[in-house]
Amino acid sequence: MSATFDTKGKRSALETRRRALSAAGWVLCGFAFLLIAVPLLDLVLTIAIKGASAFSIKLFTTSSNGVKGGLLAAIVGTAVLSLGALIFAVPIGVGAGMYLSEYGQNRLGSVIRFLSDTLTGVPSIVLGYFSYITLVIGLGWQFSALAGSITLAIMIVPYLARITELSLRRVPITMREAAYALGAKDRTVAFKIVLSAGLPGVITGALLALAISVGETAPLIQTAGWSNYLWTGKLTHEPIGYLTYVIWTFINQPYKSAHALAFAAALLVMLVVLAINIGVRIVLRRRI
Amino acid sequence: MRSDFKLRRSTLLRAGAAALLVTGLGAGVAQAANVTLVETGSTLLYPLFNIWVPHFEKAHPGIRVTTQGTGSGTGIAEAISGVVQVGASDAYMSDPQIKQNPDILNIPLAISAQAINYNLPGLNNRHLKLSGPVLAGIYDGKIGKWNALAIEKLNPGLKLPDHKIIPVHRTDGSGDTFIFSQYLSFSTPSWNSSVGYGTTVSWPAVPGGLGAEGNPGMVEALKQNPYSIAYIGVSFHQQVKQAKLGKAMLLNKAGKFVLPTAKTISAAADQLVGKTPKDERISLVFAPGADSYPIINYEYAIVNAKQHNAATAKAVKALLTWASTKGNAPHFLKQVEFKALPPAVSKLSAAQIAKIH
Amino acid sequence: MKRSGPFRLCLAAIAMVIPAALIFIVLFLAQYAWQAIFYNGVRFVGTINWSLGNLYANPVVSRGYHVPIGADYGILAFIVGTLFSSFLAILFALPVAVGTAIFLAEAVPARLRPGLSMLVELVAVVPSVVFGLWGIYVLAPLISHDIGPGITAILGFIPFFNINNSTGSGFGLLTASIVLALMITPIIATTLYDALLQVPRELRESAVALGATRFEVVTKTMLPTVRVTLIGGVVLGLGRALGETMAVLMVSGGALNYLPGTIFTPISTMASFILSQLDSALQDPTNMAVKSLAEIALVLFVITLAVNAAARVLVRGATFVRNL
Repeated sequence: MSATFDTKGKRSALETRRRALSAAGWVLCGFAFLLIAVPLLDLVLTIAIKGASAFSIKLFTTSSNGVKGGLLAAIVGTAVLSLGALIFAVPIGVGAGMYLSEYGQNRLGSVIRFLSDTLTGVPSIVLGYFSYITLVIGLGWQFSALAGSITLAIMIVPYLARITELSLRRVPITMREAAYALGAKDRTVAFKIVLSAGLPGVITGALLALAISVGETAPLIQTAGWSNYLWTGKLTHEPIGYLTYVIWTFINQPYKSAHALAFAAALLVMLVVLAINIGVRIVLRRRI
Repeated sequence: MRSDFKLRRSTLLRAGAAALLVTGLGAGVAQAANVTLVETGSTLLYPLFNIWVPHFEKAHPGIRVTTQGTGSGTGIAEAISGVVQVGASDAYMSDPQIKQNPDILNIPLAISAQAINYNLPGLNNRHLKLSGPVLAGIYDGKIGKWNALAIEKLNPGLKLPDHKIIPVHRTDGSGDTFIFSQYLSFSTPSWNSSVGYGTTVSWPAVPGGLGAEGNPGMVEALKQNPYSIAYIGVSFHQQVKQAKLGKAMLLNKAGKFVLPTAKTISAAADQLVGKTPKDERISLVFAPGADSYPIINYEYAIVNAKQHNAATAKAVKALLTWASTKGNAPHFLKQVEFKALPPAVSKLSAAQIAKIH
Repeated sequence: MKRSGPFRLCLAAIAMVIPAALIFIVLFLAQYAWQAIFYNGVRFVGTINWSLGNLYANPVVSRGYHVPIGADYGILAFIVGTLFSSFLAILFALPVAVGTAIFLAEAVPARLRPGLSMLVELVAVVPSVVFGLWGIYVLAPLISHDIGPGITAILGFIPFFNINNSTGSGFGLLTASIVLALMITPIIATTLYDALLQVPRELRESAVALGATRFEVVTKTMLPTVRVTLIGGVVLGLGRALGETMAVLMVSGGALNYLPGTIFTPISTMASFILSQLDSALQDPTNMAVKSLAEIALVLFVITLAVNAAARVLVRGATFVRNL
């Protein structure tokens, strides 16, 4: 009995140290979490407060003359560029994703997967540079909605393809087998069964891709240019404004009004990006 | 005749396409203007263009002008590539560039100047005296502190701080860099042989030297960094004043220290405008004369003589003619501290504008 | 089942667009940069003098090519700026990410977990230009006035950490690295968090049975099993940091032709340099400057390709698209 008691006494000394160390470890982990959460909250708050104070009706009804005014042209431009990018990217991205999920369990599939991930990793400025030389100068489109949209589309296609693949793969094999057993063709199975079952996932992908396009800057500077005016509908030979340009150039202007516009633009971009990302996550978690 | 017909057909086609688009988009989109011109480039000229454009558009309904302050380098490059119709630049194009692009015109629209500004806590209300060689020393790192002997010698009686100098330079291709480095090159042989001048120069490595984007970025950099110095176009004089930054007196060719004022800028212009050649590419930097401010320049519109189509050419001509005549009225230029073109230069500009087709 | 019908071929053709685009971009860049690669040789990556030469004088023939007098394209300073800022970013991000992942996976009640882990994920979706804005407005002044002097007070005896050896503007290596660290911490943290949740229960229970505290279970038995995934996450983050453009451009101070002497000194990275210098390079009538920029893009491309390939090998099935 006494021997057991002794060891227990020794152990408890050691254990106190270990417990203290563990407690310190947990505190450090919590601190690490704060190190990432606090800057995010500060960023969101700073932009929300500084941006909201610049909000007014004029912000949404007039366009900027360079240093003050509203953001109408930029808001419309961002919408045109991002939706334009989706028009190009969705058919290709969803088609590629469908191929990878349905028929891509082979060497070609893994090569496409690898190169598609590689394309996602290509710095966006490299894509912008490429488009500037080929589309803006080479094809003579000048700064334009088309050049900007296509550049964004190249960026988001691989995301779309991979998200589509992942969500279509979750559709149970049995559903496909049942359809094939009923004599359905490839196309019918792919569209009527797999795609309709996996549609929420595909829409999710498209929304996330939209969020990425809305927040992108570097490749647009060299392809879409900038315009103070509302887009007139020309696809080429007319530059187009967008919100992220306002953020990056107006903060460098020595005017209070320009700084206010930069923060207002940042708030608008953040609202779209966060709304999409939070919405998508909440909906997905509820379903699972 | 034939080309006329072609042009008309293409305008018709264009109009047809535009009509289709408008109908396609529904009545929600406002009626498109006939011609949209894009101006990009010099951030020194940018404030003036922003003042000009509303007045110009009122006088010329049907023409819209989008302005961008991106730096003279972009202005020249994109006028050459045809991405924009009007490039704005404080620098004229180089001979090799002209040789490669013989259709590009350099058309002065006004005369401008550049100030040397600094943020020296306690001394911003005093006009520091600086010379080309001292500025060259600051920008190549040989003069590292504000109380260096070379600066104290020029400013006897001033209590200069024992603090590192932060030289700020432009990161974008810039006409301000062009005229500033010309001042250093023309006044300091060692700078001329080691660095030279251009819209982009290879800045000597000064650890701590900052890069800034455009004239607005230069003002911001000065504001945020005590003990910094930068070269800034006079069109930003209001922002410089609001930020309570200092403005230097510069040593001119005649050995006098002068501030950029209406009088000293005119004095310098008077010395050199008579030498302006037909293509109007000439440096006005480091002019002789006791009253001459040493860093002044023509503000150029860089324009391709051969435009896309007749309508665009007409609009470009209208804009440049308006800018170099009505736009030179004192109530426009005074806001940015520019000087009007002398009549002889206006005539040369008009002759160049007439070449646009 | 049929092996291939017209529909399958059609889908395959669509899928091929992605690799085709990638290959076209590489080939185009390589072809465009070809002359620069030959003109610059190894000096390109080995010297720190980037100079467009005298653009206002007539071009001369040098090493067999028409170039402006004095043109020299050495990008060592930008390579160092890129690698150094990314390395520091990883150094900051790794402990924070590991701590965050452990905190989320083990310390937080299951009820709060989705909300808090979403908070971390959201950091990764903040557009980089917004990070840049925050960097200019909040972080740079903070570094200049508080963090910089603080570091100097503790480590100031080492010249590299002394803010007084720099101009102390707040724009520079440290600011860029912190912004990059914020951008990549969530990438590493979520990769690790997912892996920790996958660790089999038995492993954990057996460690507890041996008398380990919960923290010891996490650090001594769980972390080693996810080591490879963690490295993969780090490499994934590195890929992002190396190619980041806007945020770095906005807070790095835009250094040209010198190496950082302190962590407060301005730098330039390859990606930010491509964006800020394209307009200047277009001034060169010989086009060698633009082609040299294309060569930077190519070098950057090759580096990120290698890094991303490595990440993919390390994290089985790693994609940039997280399975939500």
